[in-house]
Amino acid sequence: MESSDAELVTRVLHGEVNAYGALVSRYRDRYARYAVHMLGNREDAEEALQDAFTRAYRSLARCEEPERFGAWLFRILVNRCRTSGARRVRRGRTFVHDEAALMRASQEHPAEQTMWREEIDRALGELNADQREAFLLKYVEELGYDEMSEITGVGVSALKMRVMRACDRLRTLLREVHSA
Amino acid sequence: MPEWGGGRTTLEMIVQELQRPVAFDETFERRVMVRVRRLHAERRSRGWVAIASRITHRPGWAAALAASVVAVVTLGLMRSRPDSARQGGAPLEPVQFVLVAPEAHSVAVVGDFNDWGLNDSALVATNHEGVWSVTAPVPAGVHRYAFLVNGKQWVADPSAPRATDDDFGMPSSALVVEDSTR
Repeated sequence: MESSDAELVTRVLHGEVNAYGALVSRYRDRYARYAVHMLGNREDAEEALQDAFTRAYRSLARCEEPERFGAWLFRILVNRCRTSGARRVRRGRTFVHDEAALMRASQEHPAEQTMWREEIDRALGELNADQREAFLLKYVEELGYDEMSEITGVGVSALKMRVMRACDRLRTLLREVHSA
Repeated sequence: MPEWGGGRTTLEMIVQELQRPVAFDETFERRVMVRVRRLHAERRSRGWVAIASRITHRPGWAAALAASVVAVVTLGLMRSRPDSARQGGAPLEPVQFVLVAPEAHSVAVVGDFNDWGLNDSALVATNHEGVWSVTAPVPAGVHRYAFLVNGKQWVADPSAPRATDDDFGMPSSALVVEDSTR
């Protein structure tokens, strides 16, 4: 039977470091998607997720609800993505596509599907970071507004506004591409 | 491009595409666990002396250049440090790390003195025609370190003693930084 998060956290805190590997394995792919979409490229996303896992390990004793380790880790990841995104803006780096995903898509789907994916990535990159974060949390990760508020530290009203603006902007951008 | 509309809203089509699984390569978990095990070991054995291999001044650029991948650690190149330069009670001493790696696209130094590169703390080396170097203050004492080539390849310093606790799957080297005030 698969160990619960709380059981694994307890084992890690008692010195069984390998138990942490099970937590990494459990949440790696689930959170890779958010990091890649938020940061727009695989390299930065991997780094952000690695940092999140390492920071979580270092602070594990401060995880007050071990049964909710995943939510706690996700909050750390959201912060790491914010930091990484801000640093990228300071460096003046442009938003780039998830090339690996595009490569996979081109192998698995027709060319039109790949173009569609490229357009979505480009449109996501056009959103400001706050709107992109809110949109991804709400619609891709399917979180409720209360949970989003807990993770981001932003009020529910503000989050709803960000989501609404993100949706409007995405619709506009993708319609423009489509009608061009 | 998928049919626009066709009973589904634009938003639904976007979300469906973005909810496709994303997976990192199979080395991701291993890389995370290398960091975690190092942190675990450091917590467990603060004050350890197991890798205490003494490294003395090594001016060997010529010898370094003779090998395809050779690293040299040169200690005490810059003795003029402010008295206040200390970390964790230990005085900081300038250490130059050099790696000859003509094929590399990037080289950084990670070690227990910079939390193994966490929080962007890796020391980024500068390329001089294939000879990568960086000088940084390191607390006096015994350390472990490695070169991170191209962001992923973990390379021990071939010219330095290997750390004895390489059981995390990644090689690392031993470094003794002397206190120049003594």
